[in-house]
Amino acid sequence: MKGKVRRRTIFAFLGPAIVSLAVIGIAPLLFAAYTSLHNYNLTKLRKVKFIGLDNFTFVLTDPVFWDAMQRTFSLLVIVLPLQLLIGLGIALLLHQPGIGLLKTLTRLSLVVPMATTYSVVGLLGQVMFNIKYGVVNQLIGFIGIEPVNWIGDPENAFIAVAFWDVWQWAPFCALVLLAGLTTVPSEIEEAARLETPSWWIVLRHVQLPYLIPGITAILILRTADTLKLFDMVFTMTRGGPGSATEFVSLMIQRIGFRAFDQGLASAQALILLVVTIVLSQLYIRYFYKEVQQ
Amino acid sequence: MKFTKILKKLALAAGLAAGLAQPVSAWTLEEAAKPYAGTTIDVVFLLRPGYEAAEKMLPEFESKTGIKVNIIKHPYENALGEQVRDFVAGGDLDIALIDLVWIGNFAENGWIEPIDKFTSNPELTDPNLDLDDFFPLVINAFGGWNGTIYGLPFDNYSGLLFYNRCMLEEAGFTGPPESWTELMYVYGPRLTGDGKYAYALQSKRNETQSADSFARMLWPFGGSFLDENFRSNLLSPASQSGLKFRQDLMQFMPPGIVSYDHAETVNGLAQGDVAMITEWSAFYATLKNPSTSKIVDCLAIAPEPKGPAGRKPALGGFSMAVASQADEDEQAAAWLFIQWVTSKENAKKYLELGGVPARQSVYNLPGVAEQYDYVPALVESWQDGVPEFRPRFAEWPEITEIVQEWGTKIMLNEVTTEEGAQILGERMEAVLDEAGYYSGSKPLAQ
Amino acid sequence: MRAVSQKKRNSTASQGILLLIILVFCIFPFYWMVTTSLKDQIVALQTPPAWVFEVTFGNYTEVLFKDGVWENLLNSLIIAVCTTFLSIFLGCPAAFALARFEFRGKKDLWFWFITNRMVSPIVLALPFFLIVRNLKLLDTHLVLILIYLTFNLPIVIWICTDQFRAIPRDLDEAAVIEGASQWRIFRSICLPLAAPGVAVSGIFSFIFSWNELMYALVLTRNNAKTAPAMAVSFMEGYNLPYGKIMATSTLIVIPVIIFALIASKQLVRGLTMGAVK
Repeated sequence: MKGKVRRRTIFAFLGPAIVSLAVIGIAPLLFAAYTSLHNYNLTKLRKVKFIGLDNFTFVLTDPVFWDAMQRTFSLLVIVLPLQLLIGLGIALLLHQPGIGLLKTLTRLSLVVPMATTYSVVGLLGQVMFNIKYGVVNQLIGFIGIEPVNWIGDPENAFIAVAFWDVWQWAPFCALVLLAGLTTVPSEIEEAARLETPSWWIVLRHVQLPYLIPGITAILILRTADTLKLFDMVFTMTRGGPGSATEFVSLMIQRIGFRAFDQGLASAQALILLVVTIVLSQLYIRYFYKEVQQ
Repeated sequence: MKFTKILKKLALAAGLAAGLAQPVSAWTLEEAAKPYAGTTIDVVFLLRPGYEAAEKMLPEFESKTGIKVNIIKHPYENALGEQVRDFVAGGDLDIALIDLVWIGNFAENGWIEPIDKFTSNPELTDPNLDLDDFFPLVINAFGGWNGTIYGLPFDNYSGLLFYNRCMLEEAGFTGPPESWTELMYVYGPRLTGDGKYAYALQSKRNETQSADSFARMLWPFGGSFLDENFRSNLLSPASQSGLKFRQDLMQFMPPGIVSYDHAETVNGLAQGDVAMITEWSAFYATLKNPSTSKIVDCLAIAPEPKGPAGRKPALGGFSMAVASQADEDEQAAAWLFIQWVTSKENAKKYLELGGVPARQSVYNLPGVAEQYDYVPALVESWQDGVPEFRPRFAEWPEITEIVQEWGTKIMLNEVTTEEGAQILGERMEAVLDEAGYYSGSKPLAQ
Repeated sequence: MRAVSQKKRNSTASQGILLLIILVFCIFPFYWMVTTSLKDQIVALQTPPAWVFEVTFGNYTEVLFKDGVWENLLNSLIIAVCTTFLSIFLGCPAAFALARFEFRGKKDLWFWFITNRMVSPIVLALPFFLIVRNLKLLDTHLVLILIYLTFNLPIVIWICTDQFRAIPRDLDEAAVIEGASQWRIFRSICLPLAAPGVAVSGIFSFIFSWNELMYALVLTRNNAKTAPAMAVSFMEGYNLPYGKIMATSTLIVIPVIIFALIASKQLVRGLTMGAVK
C-alpha cells in the first residue's frame, strides 16, 4: 500500500498547513534575522547600520545574558523533575482502584491550574505571597513559621516563581501520564500484579514503556515553555528584585521593548531558539522512538 | 493725567480698528474649531487621577468643537513602548503623551511638532494662552528640549514629604524633618520599632527605582548622573555620599523595600505602618480618601527634606505635544485640545476634578491653598528644581534600565555602592559613546 | 483476614487523604482569587487577610460596565474560537498525511511543525507588528486569529498525528480496495475515530489562545483587546485595585475552567501523545 498515494494528494493534505505556517511564522522570523545583523534600535531608526555578527558576539560574551540563561536552566532543572515526579505520583494514585467520587473530583480539579491564565497566576502571586496581606504567610503562620518576605527577597522570589510553575504544570503532567497509564493493556498489568506485589517493578517494567511518549512530550513542551516563560513572572515580580527572577525571555523583552534595541533582542531570541531546538532534538533522539519509525 | 487718558482712548480706538480689520481678535474655541468638526484625534492616557480628571472634562470640549477625542488607556509601564511603536510605524496617534524623560527621544526622532507651528497661527491659538503663566521650571522640563518648546505640561508632579502628623507628635516631634540627615539620625530611631517604620522609599525595579529612589538620593547630596563632559559622575564623593546615605537609611525602612512600588509605599503610610514617605503630589487624593486611607486626619505635607546641596525634590510629569505623523486637520484639532485642557481657564476645574495643573495663576486664587493643603509645598518645590533630575536625552530609556538593575543590586548589598557605581558608570558611558556624545557628533544636552 | 482488611482500609484512608490534599492544592488559589474579587479595597489589603468578610459585587459591576471588560471577554471568545477552528481545519489533514503517507523529509517536516511552538513570541511580536501595521490590520481580531496559529497548529498536528497513527490500517486499506479516495477515508473513517484527539487538541488551542498575553499586548489597542491584556492594564504601579484585578481574572478564568471541566474526560483519552497499543 505504501507509496501509492500521489504527490498531489499529499500536497493537498499538507499544503494549507505548510503555507499558512510559512507565511505567518517564517516571514517575521526572517525579519528578526535581518534585524539581528543590524544596529537596529527603534528609537534610532535613522542610524540603522549593518554590523554583521556583532550582536551575536556581544550576546555570547555578555554576562547578563548568561546569568539569565543560567537562571532559566536552574529553574528548569528544579521545576521539571518536580513536576514529573508529582505528576507521576498523582497519576498513579488516580489510576489505583478506589474511592470513585473523590477520584473524579480530584481529576477534575487537575484541570483548574492548567486552565488558569498565566498572567492571572502572576497577579494572584502578588496577592497571595505579599509579605503583609498575603494568605501564604498567614497559612505558614498557623504552623509557627515567621512571615517570609517572598517577593522582596531574591531567593524567595525565585522560590515563589518555581512554586507557581509547579502548581500550574504538575497537574498537566499528571493528566498526560494518566492518559499513558490507561493505554497499558489491563491483561498485562493484572498479570504483572499477580506476579509481584511491588508497585515499583510494575511501574518500571510494565507501565514505563507506555509512559515514555508522554514523558518525552512533557519534556519537549515544558522545556520550550520554561525557556519562553514570561507572563507569570512579568506580572508577579517583573524580573526582580534585582535580577533574581529575570529569566531569559524577560531579559529579551526588556532589551527589545523597553530599551528598544531590537537588533540585540533578535540575536538573543534566535540563540534561544537554537538552544530550544537542539534540546528538543536530543529529547526526541533519546526517548521518542515513535516518530522515528 | 488728561494726556494719558487721551492716549488710552487712542489706543482703544486703534485696537478696535485693528479688531474690525481682523475678526480673529474675538477668538473663541467654537469658532477656531469649526473647520475641524468631525475630526477624531487619538491620544494615550494613563490610569492616573490627572487623566481621569481630563476625561471628565472631555464632553465639554467635544460638544463645543465637534472634535472627537479617542482615548487609548495604558499603564505607565507600557505607555512608552506603545507610543514608540506607533510612531515608528507611522501609526494613528495624533498627540504624544511625554514623560519628561522621553522628551529628548521624541524630539530628536522628529515625532513631535514644536508649539511655534501653532502659536504663530492666530486662528488656532487662544490669545489667552499665556505661556508665562506655566511654572517656568515645569514647562521647560516637561515640554522643552534644547531650547524649543514642544509640549504643554498636563499631568504634573513634584516630590513631596507626606507624613503622619499623629505618629510624629506621639514621638515628640512638632514638625517634619528639615533635612535628610535629620530625618535619618533624629527621626529614624524614634519612629522605628514595633512593626512601624520611620520612612519608606519606593524602590521597585522599574522607573520607580531610577526616578524615586536612585535620583532622589543623588541630587540633594550634590551628586548627579553625569559631569559637564557627560562622563559618569557616580563615583564622585558627593554622589557616593548620597548612595551610601540611601543604604544607611534602609535600616529605618520596611523590609523588602526593593519590591515597593508607589502603591505599596502609599499604602504603608495610609495604613499607619510608616511615618513618612516622599511621594508624588498626585497621591494626595488617595491619602485624603477615607476609603483608601486610615490616616486622613493625621496626614500632613511638607516639601522634601534638604540635603547638603539644598532642596532638590524629585521632578516628574507629562506634557502633551502634537504628533508629526498626524495630518493637517488632526494636528490643528490636537493643538486645540492640548491648549484647551491645559488652559488657565480650565486649571481650576482640572484641580477640582483631581488633576494637578502647572498654572501659577490657579494657585494664587483665593481659597485654593486652604482647600488643598499640599499646594504651598508644591509651589515651593517648583520654584527651584533640577530639570535634568533624570537626564532627558534620547538615551534615557537605555540608561534607566541600567540604573534600575544596578541600583537595585546596590540596595540588596549584592555589590557595594562603589562597585555598583563603577559598573553603572561604565555601561552608561558605553551607551553615550555609542550615541556619539564623546565624538562631538551630538550636543551635550540633557 | 482482619489484618488484610485493616490494611486495605488504611490504604484507602491514606489514598483519600492524599487525594484531598491534591484537590485542595489545586483549588485553593482559585478559591482565593474568587474571594479576593468579592472584597473591597480596604479588606483586600488588610493584615492578616480576612476569610470571613462582607461580600461585595462592586468590583464586578465596575469592571464589567464601567471599564467594559465584557467587550474584552467577547474579543477573547471570538479570537479563541476562530483560531481553534482554523487550526483544526488546517491541522487535521496535515496530521493525517503525516500519519498515513510516506514521503521524503516527513520526519523533518513534522519537526518543523513542532518547532513553531518553540519560537518565543518576543521574537515575532515586533516584526509582526510592523508587517501588520503596513497591512492596516492592527487592532483587528483577524491578526490575533492568524498569529495564534503559530502555536496552535503545532499542537493540533502533534496530537492528531498520534491519534491517526493509532487507528488500525486495515480499516482504510479495505476502503482503498473499494475505491474510496484518500479524502473520503480521512473524512468518513479516520476523523470520527480520532475525534477524542481532535477534541483535545481543540481544547488546548482554545486554552492557549484564551490565555495568551504577549501578542495581545503588542498587536491590539481597543477594538480587539483581549481580556488578559485588559487585566494586566489595571496594574498601574500607582494603585493596586486588587479587587478589580481579581474580578477581571475570575471572569477570564471561569469560562476556560468550565470548558475544560466539561471536556476533562476527553483530555485523558486524547493526551496519550503517541503511546499506542
